[in-house]
Amino acid sequence: MMKLLISLHVFLGAVLLAIPNMTRRELLFAVPVSPDFRQSSAGRRAIAMFRLVVAAAAAAGIGALVLCPIRLVDTLQPPVAAGTIVIAVLAFYWQYRRLSPFAVEIPRKRAAALSTAPDRLPGFVWLGSGPFALLGAAALYLYLNWDRIPERLAVSRGIASPGGWADRTTKGVYGELLFALELCALLLLVGIAGWYGARRSRSRPVILGGIIAVTYVVAGMSDLIALQPVFGIPEWPIILVVVAALIPILVIMAGKMSHLGEPLDPTPQECWKGGVIYYNPSDPVLFVEKRGGLGYTLNFANRWAWILLAGLALVVATGFLLLD
Amino acid sequence: MLESPQIHIDPGSGVPAVRQIMDGLRVFLVEGRLAPGTELPSVRRLAIELGIHFNTVAEAYRQLAAEGWLDLKHGRGAIVVHRAVPPTPDRERTEDYRNRLRALVAQMRSEGISADGIAAELRAMAEMVTQ
Repeated sequence: MMKLLISLHVFLGAVLLAIPNMTRRELLFAVPVSPDFRQSSAGRRAIAMFRLVVAAAAAAGIGALVLCPIRLVDTLQPPVAAGTIVIAVLAFYWQYRRLSPFAVEIPRKRAAALSTAPDRLPGFVWLGSGPFALLGAAALYLYLNWDRIPERLAVSRGIASPGGWADRTTKGVYGELLFALELCALLLLVGIAGWYGARRSRSRPVILGGIIAVTYVVAGMSDLIALQPVFGIPEWPIILVVVAALIPILVIMAGKMSHLGEPLDPTPQECWKGGVIYYNPSDPVLFVEKRGGLGYTLNFANRWAWILLAGLALVVATGFLLLD
Repeated sequence: MLESPQIHIDPGSGVPAVRQIMDGLRVFLVEGRLAPGTELPSVRRLAIELGIHFNTVAEAYRQLAAEGWLDLKHGRGAIVVHRAVPPTPDRERTEDYRNRLRALVAQMRSEGISADGIAAELRAMAEMVTQ
């Protein structure tokens, strides 16, 4: 089990190390640069320094988990993961500050087609229904095999020991699936809102596709967890399946985003707080392409951004109630 | 199928965005690239694409409607209408055009463009945008 835990943190570390690559060529640590800046000595040094800090943080975290008593592993694991992420964020910000003097001026010109052609969603959006079908199938299977579910089931959300116990009740059996249903619906909603709330660009289908792919991972993982009591599925294949599914999604998205073949969205640099938070009251857009990382971020000057965040908080809160 | 004309704005140019939108649209209207009956994008969509406030686009549409180019009906968006040839502009307006042209011509001359070159450019442009 310890090997699995270490693998999980290695994966987290690897994702954090890949952050400089998970963006367009014209951006490095959220600073607009020339596409060949990464090959310059300043660019290479910034990437190396960031990776050194992140690797040290990940290694320290893994070391702490390996050395601590096994009964403390489950308690220690979330703060270790959160600590690694916080250090990566600080390292990112450090490099953002260091590279800011190298920022290139992005032409502020914008163009818009005077077209009223409907802004249709891409054809592949119907794939977004797949995760709901997966969750429905698992729920149906549990309903039809109710008698095979133990009266008392282990809710194994810990690595070293079960996180708790649940009774064979509607909430106990379907809670995981209901939470996943909420999460998938929210993700899909964000994906579609992102399509209509962002400017037309080649990144839109890539981001929507990535979000739909992630909903499959969420639904698949929740199916396996919900079916655990019936099939006695151990924890490790679930985690491995999730990690194995996420890697290609990240690699494909990073590859597509780095070669979009269209100029960077000319959002004013002064509206990017710390390079990652976009706040521009003059820009009515709700979603903008991230400057650091894959996907969208919100324009926090748009009131709909806060309504969306409140919705997310509501989903998380109800998730705690469903999984309690 | 003809591609839709594209409107450009440059927030760094110093010219107010509302003026840039009006000028850009007016060129297409005069040239006939936006023919009567053509529906323009909604205020919301154009503002998002151009990264400017909704009110700026709405103001540009309103001013063009006041000039007789657009029909703004609630819930229908902005539609290009047939515009009767306006009467000869009054003295005040003619004077305003003259002043604006004078400033532009002075700038062109200061950048080394000859008087003949400027005249040819203006003539070609006036012919190109004939209604």
